[in-house]
Amino acid sequence: MAFVIRRLAFYLVAVFVAITFNFLIPRLMPGDPVDAMFAAAGGRMPPETIAAYREMLGFVDAPLWQQYLQYLRSVLMLDLGPSIMMFPTPVTTVLAGTLPWTVLLAGAATVLAIGIGCGFGLYAAYHRGGRVDRFAPVIWQFAASMPQAVTALAMFFIFALTLGWFPLGFGFNPNLRPGWSLDFVASVVMHAVLPLLTLLISMIATWVFTMRNAMVNVLGEDYIAMARAKGLPTNRIMRRYAARNAILPVVTAASMALGFAVAGQVFVETVFNYPGIGQLIVRAVAARDYPLMQACFLLIVLGVLAANFIADMLYVWLDPRLRS
Amino acid sequence: MTKILSRLTRFYRGNNAGIIGSALIALVVALCLAAPLISPHDPDRRVGRPHQPPSAEHIMGTTRAGKDVAAQALHGGRVSLIVALAAAGLTTAIALAVGVGAGYAGGRIDEGLMAVTNIMLVFPQLPLLIILAAFLGNVGPFVIAVILGLTSWPWGARVMRAQTLSLRRKEFVTAAEIMGESRWRIIAVEILPNLISLAAGMFVGTALYAIGAQAGLEFLGLGDPTVVSWGTMLYWAQSSQAFLVGAWWEFLVPGTLIALVGGGLALLNISIDQVSNPRLRTGPQMKRWRRMAATLDAKRREGRA
Repeated sequence: MAFVIRRLAFYLVAVFVAITFNFLIPRLMPGDPVDAMFAAAGGRMPPETIAAYREMLGFVDAPLWQQYLQYLRSVLMLDLGPSIMMFPTPVTTVLAGTLPWTVLLAGAATVLAIGIGCGFGLYAAYHRGGRVDRFAPVIWQFAASMPQAVTALAMFFIFALTLGWFPLGFGFNPNLRPGWSLDFVASVVMHAVLPLLTLLISMIATWVFTMRNAMVNVLGEDYIAMARAKGLPTNRIMRRYAARNAILPVVTAASMALGFAVAGQVFVETVFNYPGIGQLIVRAVAARDYPLMQACFLLIVLGVLAANFIADMLYVWLDPRLRS
Repeated sequence: MTKILSRLTRFYRGNNAGIIGSALIALVVALCLAAPLISPHDPDRRVGRPHQPPSAEHIMGTTRAGKDVAAQALHGGRVSLIVALAAAGLTTAIALAVGVGAGYAGGRIDEGLMAVTNIMLVFPQLPLLIILAAFLGNVGPFVIAVILGLTSWPWGARVMRAQTLSLRRKEFVTAAEIMGESRWRIIAVEILPNLISLAAGMFVGTALYAIGAQAGLEFLGLGDPTVVSWGTMLYWAQSSQAFLVGAWWEFLVPGTLIALVGGGLALLNISIDQVSNPRLRTGPQMKRWRRMAATLDAKRREGRA
């Protein structure tokens, strides 16, 4: 229980750091968002408008700590201001529309990558020194070493543009009405295939290595030798004795990998014009839409932290030593 | 000198992944270093008509602005490689300083440094980079190297700390402490040399990450688009819709070069891991071990039957 509370406290601190970072960055940088807007408008902006924008974005002439308190309150109230790019839609509304797409893609990619990667890793460790063990990890690592932007572009060029097997972009066919109809779901799936494949290519290697290396280390332990000496069938040793303990590092890696999945999302969504948070943050940056940009950042950080916390709790559940 | 050479031969003997990886990197680095000598054109100047397919005049085609793609790739590679090296160097240096500092000092210092490290570790890096790059505005290669270096050290610092902790308990460190050696001397003479292979692995791993992250940031338009590098080449190709007009070479050339360097670094990384932890080996040297295990198994079975 002490462990759970300690982790919870840690994540609360991390959330605070993220919010503070979000507050400080625009205030520490030379110029502020409004200056950028002023420059973008070619200097043709009446002073009243500038003042109004400053007020709206929370850049008031108050001491920093007062601004900070105000910022904290508005974050807690989920009032992140209007988006500049899609004025006057509130940032929270814009985010709500894109969140499901990102969760869909990242969730599917993470689950599939863990399943496929651990399968390969388990097989490689089981048949150590065999053909799969010699080539699979290296090939996966080689594929994963390509930057996601490059992989995504290659996928786009080969399978969407040249072969025409998959649509060129977006989350679904815009001619269809969103709903639970068969056509619409099929369209969503077809549009998700290439982004998903790109994410998988870059994610699977980690799991192959994590699982294989954990397995190989566990197989060197005394209790495995003991189980062998007892004459237990290899299959049973692998599954009941070794894989159980080898899965622990995999859980730790799972929490690390989530941040990675989010990163990959940004490139994949940009290349395939997928309507998720990753693409939104890039568009917000390009449009100098600071409120939207910061809200995207905050949401991504909170998502990753929450997922990390869940992985930690899973660890407690799997490893009895931590429960005492 | 001979010591280094013998270490290198030991590393590469029978290590196919390491040999192929190093050869790939060496090939690309040599090409980029020789850019001023072998480059067919000036990378910054309009030398042909826009979107020309590969031909004898422009062996890798031209961009929309009529610039030679081959020349850009060679010259741009220098920027990309230097950024990757600088970022990897900075990351490794910070990871060493924080990790060894925390591991050796212990107590409050250790706790404080590790608290910062752990928080940095759970932060998703790319969104952080995007926000930083956005607020700094069209950052040049130097700034990209610095922000990559400043954000990528936490994992390495933890590894270094763990290793330092286990080294501290070794007899030779205790002996040096009893002999009254100064802390700095112990760190520099007794501890650091034992961290070199770990640091080398970390350097290669970070360089791999930095090549990709830098290309990614520039591809998203966060870098300085007037500097020619592999990432900005991808950015210009994307923003001039090169794919849609059929100019695939604009993506293919920088993309392939990034993939070659990335793949080479990945292979090198795998082989360094396997050398420092023999248990993780996958290579053909496993064959003998397997044969031994098989005969042992067979004997055991015979004995039982």
